[in-house]
Amino acid sequence: MFLKKYTVAVMFLLGISCAPLLAPGTANAIPAFSRQHKTECSTCHTIYPELNEFGDAFLKNGYVYPHKKEAAKGATQGAEPGNEWSFISGLPQQIPLSLTATADLAYDEHAADGNKLDLSTRSITLQAGGSFRDLFGFFATYNLYSQGMQRSSSLVNPANNTNVPPGNDPDLDELFLVWRQAFGSPVNMKVGRFEPKLSLWKKSNRILPVPSFASTTYRVGLSPFSSDATEDGVELNALLGNRLFVAGGVVDRNGQDREDGYGHISLKIGGTDLKGQEPEVDLEKDSIWDYLSVTLGGFGYWGQNGEFNANGVAQNLNNFRRIGAEADILYKRLHLKGSGSFGHDTNVGFMSAAVDSRAYTLEGEYYLGAPVNVVPVFRYEYLNTGDGTVKRLTPAIAYTPLQNVRMSIEYTHSIAPEGTGNIAFASIAFSM
Amino acid sequence: MKKLLVTMLLIAATAATAHAGLKVIGKGDAMRLDPSGFPPAMKANYEIVRVKCVKCHTLERTIVAIQTGVAPISGQPFDRNATKAYGIKMLRKPDSNMSKAEVKASVDLMNYLLAEAEK
Repeated sequence: MFLKKYTVAVMFLLGISCAPLLAPGTANAIPAFSRQHKTECSTCHTIYPELNEFGDAFLKNGYVYPHKKEAAKGATQGAEPGNEWSFISGLPQQIPLSLTATADLAYDEHAADGNKLDLSTRSITLQAGGSFRDLFGFFATYNLYSQGMQRSSSLVNPANNTNVPPGNDPDLDELFLVWRQAFGSPVNMKVGRFEPKLSLWKKSNRILPVPSFASTTYRVGLSPFSSDATEDGVELNALLGNRLFVAGGVVDRNGQDREDGYGHISLKIGGTDLKGQEPEVDLEKDSIWDYLSVTLGGFGYWGQNGEFNANGVAQNLNNFRRIGAEADILYKRLHLKGSGSFGHDTNVGFMSAAVDSRAYTLEGEYYLGAPVNVVPVFRYEYLNTGDGTVKRLTPAIAYTPLQNVRMSIEYTHSIAPEGTGNIAFASIAFSM
Repeated sequence: MKKLLVTMLLIAATAATAHAGLKVIGKGDAMRLDPSGFPPAMKANYEIVRVKCVKCHTLERTIVAIQTGVAPISGQPFDRNATKAYGIKMLRKPDSNMSKAEVKASVDLMNYLLAEAEK
């Protein structure tokens, strides 16, 4: 009897601890860019939606093609006479919309509901992105439909003013405008709902659908805050020189008596610079820097969530902060990513004690390249949110038979204080 | 003497016209070059380009860039600096499957073709 109860308890705890693994993020590669610039997806992506170096420069350039001659004209270049309206108004000639659909299959040996094999998670996301001449860039993602857990937050307290969009309901995930080089300065101003620029990698900028970088995705206790969630805010960012990128912003959520603040700095050494320019390479001689690029980044986030009663009295306030450092190393077909984060939360439950958290992730990818567009991936994660450590080992494989179709399968072995767990997750995604 | 000068100028002009441009076969995605007039080294380089580059894009994109002097996607000038930059870009693409020697051969061919197109 005791054993049976114990087993049920372990399975329940494992289900809870592994649940985030079954929360695939959205894939935000968007073919609208491919159509606008009349170029293939591989211009910006390795295996979509992960960005290559040029794609990262495109992103940092406010969705304007780096160094494109008269990029302002974008879609009107070489246009037939009669399309002057497009240039004069700044409107793109094509409506810049894309759709991404995913279907997932999960096997969880400790599924809390007993449904070990689950083929009930699928989603359709609408995306829009482009530029209005070279003055403004824009991007939007809208969750049209999803079934199963999609980064949902079922938590009600202490912060029901969550920054995480509610689960499976149609909802806006991102919608922002970038005013490029505002007032002729090197500063870009981003306004709207977006993922605060903390990490080197955007949430969607990864091969595998399951969140990979614990240092920016984890949550602590009952607090719904995770630093990669989209939020309403204003961000200023700028490229200083060709290889230093800085960003800082403020975030406003309901139920706050003050805004959150964050900052990011990153430096790229070697490789394509952050403006999309190729490095100088001697084609007669070999050097390690012909293929090596190293990007180092650091970030900090300070904020607060909670709720206010009818009298405006703050309740269950949680003050939190995250600081972290990351490294991205690319050498030929080998891609290594490392990430570490330290956090502090003052109240993540009902009048609970303060919690210090730590998270580390190491990930290696190897591109086999054409004609076999397969990427083996191995990821190690360590997470301690104050209640013991969880370690996760994830071997995975992703495959793109076409540039807009991606299949992946990953297996995760979790080691937690309450026991071990194994989850297999397969996903197919396509964008159009 | 005057007649001789005029005759020489006419011959020179005719010769230049005869070598102008590139010999192109086909249209659109099927566009390719006729390498029959290439020096042997460039014929070998063309074989590399014909096999390797078309994994990611058509030869039309390259030929149009050489013919017009403008890269069709970016609108940037397509000159000798650009050929090397594009070569390095392809070299560093993890899925391009091109060695440094193959990239150098491709850049050499494009520079040769640029020179030929200018004649």
